[in-house]
Amino acid sequence: MMADKKDYAKPGEYKPIDLLAVAAAREVRDGDVVFAGTGLPMLAIMLAQLTTAPTSVCIYEAGSIDGRPIDLPSSVGDARCVYQASLATGLTEAFFGQLHRGYVDLAFLGGAEIDKYGNVNTTVVGNYLTPSKRFTGSGGNPDINSLARRTVFVMVQEKRRFRENVDYITSPGWRLLKWPSGEWISKKDLYGKFFRGGPEAVITNMGVFRFDEEGVMYLDTVHPGFTPEQVRDNCSFDLNISRVRGETKPPTYEELELLYTKVDPAGIFLP
Amino acid sequence: MGRPKKITLKEAAALIQDGDMISFSGFTIWRRPMALVYEMIRQNKKNLHLFEVNGGTHTEVLAGAGAIRIWESCWVGHELYGKLGEAIARGQIEGSIIVEDYSHGHVVARLLAGSYGLPYMPCALSMGTDILNPEFDMLRKAGLRDGSNPKIPAMKYAIVEDPFFGMGELLLMPAANPDWALVYASQVGDEGTVRVFAQTYTDAEVIRAADKVIVIAEEIVPESYIRQEPEKNLVPGYAIDYIVELPWAAHPTGSQGYYDVDADFIRNLYAASKSQDGFNRWAEEWIFGVEGHEEYLEKIGVTRLEQLRANRVLGYSTRMKRGSR
Repeated sequence: MMADKKDYAKPGEYKPIDLLAVAAAREVRDGDVVFAGTGLPMLAIMLAQLTTAPTSVCIYEAGSIDGRPIDLPSSVGDARCVYQASLATGLTEAFFGQLHRGYVDLAFLGGAEIDKYGNVNTTVVGNYLTPSKRFTGSGGNPDINSLARRTVFVMVQEKRRFRENVDYITSPGWRLLKWPSGEWISKKDLYGKFFRGGPEAVITNMGVFRFDEEGVMYLDTVHPGFTPEQVRDNCSFDLNISRVRGETKPPTYEELELLYTKVDPAGIFLP
Repeated sequence: MGRPKKITLKEAAALIQDGDMISFSGFTIWRRPMALVYEMIRQNKKNLHLFEVNGGTHTEVLAGAGAIRIWESCWVGHELYGKLGEAIARGQIEGSIIVEDYSHGHVVARLLAGSYGLPYMPCALSMGTDILNPEFDMLRKAGLRDGSNPKIPAMKYAIVEDPFFGMGELLLMPAANPDWALVYASQVGDEGTVRVFAQTYTDAEVIRAADKVIVIAEEIVPESYIRQEPEKNLVPGYAIDYIVELPWAAHPTGSQGYYDVDADFIRNLYAASKSQDGFNRWAEEWIFGVEGHEEYLEKIGVTRLEQLRANRVLGYSTRMKRGSR
């Protein structure tokens, strides 16, 4: 019997990256103005536009506003981003005209390390003054995370990446540092009337995490094939697994078909 | 002011002095004036102060060649074709490059202030992060915020209380006014009016903020043509000091409407850049091993360039293989 397009795929019928893209796409609400970065975020917003969020729009920080690409961009500065866009502009418009002014509902971001408050490091390994490794640096990650209403991080789940404290706070979570003193403060108190929200979810290859009333990360759903305990074992901090709702819904056959035939048929990000 | 002067690539690079503060057009691996960057390295520029919204392939080539002393920015890498900026990382870790980290929005704010002739620009971006940690103000630590260099502000940023609407604390970001804007542009009128295709990135801000501007143009077109649709133009000709006309001058970065990013070329550079020896060998082949831009293009070859050439309607190449399928 033919499987229905809306049926969930079975283990082995999809790859971990497919589930990441689909789980991220499901965070988009119809009508959202979405700020997306290169890679999986592009897959997520384009899949959402084809399924549950047809009137959501996408802004790329290099300056394309509400593009409708017919070929998947390789990066946010790509010529492909501006196809049928409402505006082809620049960073001043993206960061100040759109983000700072308050148009951005949702942002997809990435990171090398994250702590239990959602603070993310994309800058260095080790002490900043004597680093052992440098990553790319902040880019727009902390700006977007400052002023978007909701942000979703897509990351690799590893013990060394889910840490009690990150080596360098590149991007602001729910509890962060007030300068010049460096004391810990809640994001709401620090941002005052500029406060609009913060990290909403973290999606990894093992599960989906959310943040409680205190801004502390907990496991919300666990991907098929993993147990909550396994996820906790892949965190350096004591992850709260008492609120797990169940398993993350796998991709549907329709979502998989769209991903491989409409969103990324050339295999830019999908294998 | 007046009309810009047309000069050669060699003359353009010779204008830039060791220690100058420079900034570039483009975004990561798009619309970077790579031919000028290569020529600056052939002319052995040193101690440059590079201020930019984000780094890319051009940054890595300059850093690999040992031309950068100060890098104020927020990001460096080659996008999908090289995930880190190896030369900047090596310079930061070894201490040969002073890295001052900001966020994208911070750097845009600094350029905006510079481009509007204001001393600073307020914003509420990236507050609460280690970017603002006073211990990590590297130009201050190096003793360079003492006023001796007019291009380096007395403070990395300031925190102020909104005096008008009680919005609370926000940041003031000091203006950036580089000595040079080094720009690659799609089209320039023969009187200097500049037009870029697709995203404008921070090209206009960089041009206005800088004291002097060199534009490397993919093509110079009649001024009468570019003035038929003035709403498509970026800056007037009197904002430009020097023009060099040089097709393919952004290679291996991409130029919307003309050619795509040369992914394989950047992947090879990235692989080489993982060690100083590797970079040196790469530079020997692609920078010092060619006499200039024409020989560089001949070495890449017509077949490769034709694969990169943009579809005239779409503005990007439809003939090159981009992914795994």
